[in-house]
Formats: sequence, structure tokens, C-alpha cells
Amino acid sequence: MKKVISYVFFYAFFCLLQFFFGKYLTVGGIFPNFILIAVVYLGFSRGRISAQTMGFCFGLTWDVFSTDVFGARTLMLTVIGYFSGMFNRQFDKDQIAAQVTAVFLASLVYWAGFSTVYFILPEGSRNYVPFAVTLPGTLKIVVTVLITPLVFWVLNFASVLKRRYL
Amino acid sequence: MINNRKRKFADILFIILLAAGFALIIARSTPFVGLIKNFIYFVSFPNVSAANKIFQYAGDFADNIKSIVYIRQENLLYKQKNQELSDKLRNYETVMEQYDNLVKLLNVPKIKDTQSVFARISVREPGEWFQWFIIDKGSEEGLYKELPVVMLRDNGQLCAVGRIMEARKGSSKVGLITNSLSAIPVEIKGKRINCLAEGFNSNLLKITYIPLNANVEPGDEIIASPFSSVFNAGMPIGVIKSISKELSLDFKTALAEVYFESDILYEAIILVPKGAVK
Repeated sequence: MKKVISYVFFYAFFCLLQFFFGKYLTVGGIFPNFILIAVVYLGFSRGRISAQTMGFCFGLTWDVFSTDVFGARTLMLTVIGYFSGMFNRQFDKDQIAAQVTAVFLASLVYWAGFSTVYFILPEGSRNYVPFAVTLPGTLKIVVTVLITPLVFWVLNFASVLKRRYL
Repeated sequence: MINNRKRKFADILFIILLAAGFALIIARSTPFVGLIKNFIYFVSFPNVSAANKIFQYAGDFADNIKSIVYIRQENLLYKQKNQELSDKLRNYETVMEQYDNLVKLLNVPKIKDTQSVFARISVREPGEWFQWFIIDKGSEEGLYKELPVVMLRDNGQLCAVGRIMEARKGSSKVGLITNSLSAIPVEIKGKRINCLAEGFNSNLLKITYIPLNANVEPGDEIIASPFSSVFNAGMPIGVIKSISKELSLDFKTALAEVYFESDILYEAIILVPKGAVK
């Protein structure tokens, strides 16, 4: 039960951070992908089942709150959750290099997957060009990668607190 | 072992979630899903683009509903047409049946020096079923009292039905051979035995005056005798059903079933001597 409640909190926290507080934290339209970091973190620390399930839920929520192709984010985050879960306990999740590499690769997968979906189904893309390397897109990946150690540290800290007090 | 099971479960779950993701991508094109999704988005982040999308999907959704309504209307129309065509088919089948009857009547065997007048039975009282009926032809068509009335059987042969008792202008009353007032001289076919067929208001005829030594058996056919003043000699009448077992000194009796009751009697043929028909 405690596990479920902690997952619900985890889900609610990242949803609020990404969808509602995002507009206050954005700088020049660039805003890190917190949900992607959260899914990779779950994969590293909890394994495939948790990561892919949460990835699916995050993706579905994000799809509902967007006008893009419905289901694209659900698919991408599920896949990222599954593959990051494969490296559970194979890397030291406290190592910054591992965190940064994993989130960078996940961002590439996310971008490539998204581009593929828009390449196949271009109707919802508006001015998005599939597989185009743009400055805002690159900056977004860079910011996400840079902020990853901080998010991991916060989540590890929260995990320690949870183990100690709950 | 536990790890293996966990891994398997994770793989199965991944496949299910992946399938769900693909299903969502496929479902996105349905206007209803698009409408709900964009509406939720608009409630969360109201903006012009989302509003436009809502109207676009609502339009598609409304179009779909409209097409469903049209299809239903069309369906109703087709059902109505189907009903009309069914009625027409029923009429056609009735006409075909009448046509077949007419074709059958055209093949009525010709009897020398007589003409056939076809008439429909217009009245047949259930209480006096085996006594008389009324036909829709009368003296206007040249019919008169005592003319023989016959019917066409399924095998194409004629059989005796009765005789005209009263002829009016446009109708005639036919007394059946089963009427208790009727008595016809008959012959057992192929045996040259003369006897009398008397009606007694049932579907049977009482065959009387059969000589004691006559070899009459059930199944023997009864035909009109040359002594008959109404029917032509040899006109089939019925078939012997049973021979009476009552002991008598001179004659024996039998019961015969009339032919005309074995088929449904709707039309009758009146055999009129040539020249009498108007």
C-alpha cells in the first residue's frame, strides 16, 4: 500500500512539475523534460515493471494535455521505461556519468521515436519537421541532461527520507 | 527463478502497454476520442489552437452522427420499399396461381357437342355444404335448369359435381350429387354393373341396387351410366369405399366417396349443349 501511495505521489509531483509549473520555469521557451528523467530514474532504481508502467501513465497524461498525435508520448515513454529498466542494478545510479548518459540516450530515443511517429502520421505535426536537428530541440536535450544529476539527487534524497521515516 | 518470472512478467506487461500505445495512436483518428482529448486540453490550457481543434473534431463527430441518422432514414426507406416489393410479390404469386388455374381450365377435355362455361362458386353455405352452392353465371350466359355441373381434377379429368337446380339472370343454384334429393344412374367401371348413386348430405354416396352376385370391391370406380339424363356416360363420379354387410334377398349396397370433395372446389364447369351458350 505504501508503495502504491509513493508511486501516486511520484506521479502527481512530476505531472504538476511538467504541466503546471513548467510555464513558470521556462527560459526562452526551453524547459527540461522532467518526466523523461523520472522514467529513467525509475528504470535505474526500481526496474522495468515500475518504469514502463509509470512511463505509460506519464505518456498518457501528457498526450491528453497536448494537441499532438495522441498516443505518441505514451508509446515513447513506455519504451524508454522498459529499456532503462533493463539497466537496473547494472549501473551505479549515483554516478553522474551514468545518469547523464542514460538520460541523453533516452532523449535521443524520445526524439527519434517522436520524429518517426510524425514522419508516418504527419497530420498533427503543424510546423514540426521530423528528424530535423534544431537549436531549441538541441537546447532542450542539453538542459534536460544538465539538470539530470540534480533531479536524481533530489529523488535519491527523497528515497532515503522515505526509508527512514515511513 | 523469481527474477526469471519477474522478467517474463515485465516482458508481457511491456507488450500489453505497447499494444495499448499503438491502439491509442490508431484511436486518435476517431472524432470522438479527438474531441474528448482536445476538450480536456482546452480545459487545462485554454488557447485558440485547442479551441479550433475542438470545433474541428466536434464537426467531424457531428458529421458522423449525421451520417448515422441518414443511414437510419435510408434503412427505413429501404424497409418500406421492401414491404412494397413483398406485397407486389404476393400479388404476383396470386396472379400466377390464377394463371395456372386458367391454363388448367384451358386444357379441359372436350366433350362432343357441348361447350364449357366456367363459373366461380360465389356462395357455399357451411350448414348445407353437401347440398348446394351458387355460381356466378346464370341464364344470361345460356345456363338453364338440369345442366350438368362438373369440375376439373388435378389429374386433368372432369368429374361430376351436380346439376343446375335454378337458373337466374346472373347466378345459378347447383344441387350437388351428394344432396339427399339426388339420385344418378351409375355404373361400376369396367364391370358393366348398373346401379344407383343416392346422396345423403355427406361426402359419401349410397350405391344401391347392386345385384347380389355382382363382384364389387372397395376401390372400384363409379362412372355415370348411359341411362343418366344429366351427365355424359362415363363421367367419373367417385370410388367405392365399402360394401354393406347387411344381408338382403335381392340387392346389396355400398358407400362411395365423391371425387369433387378430394380437391378444393372454387370453380365449376357447366357443360352446355352447343348453340345454347350466348
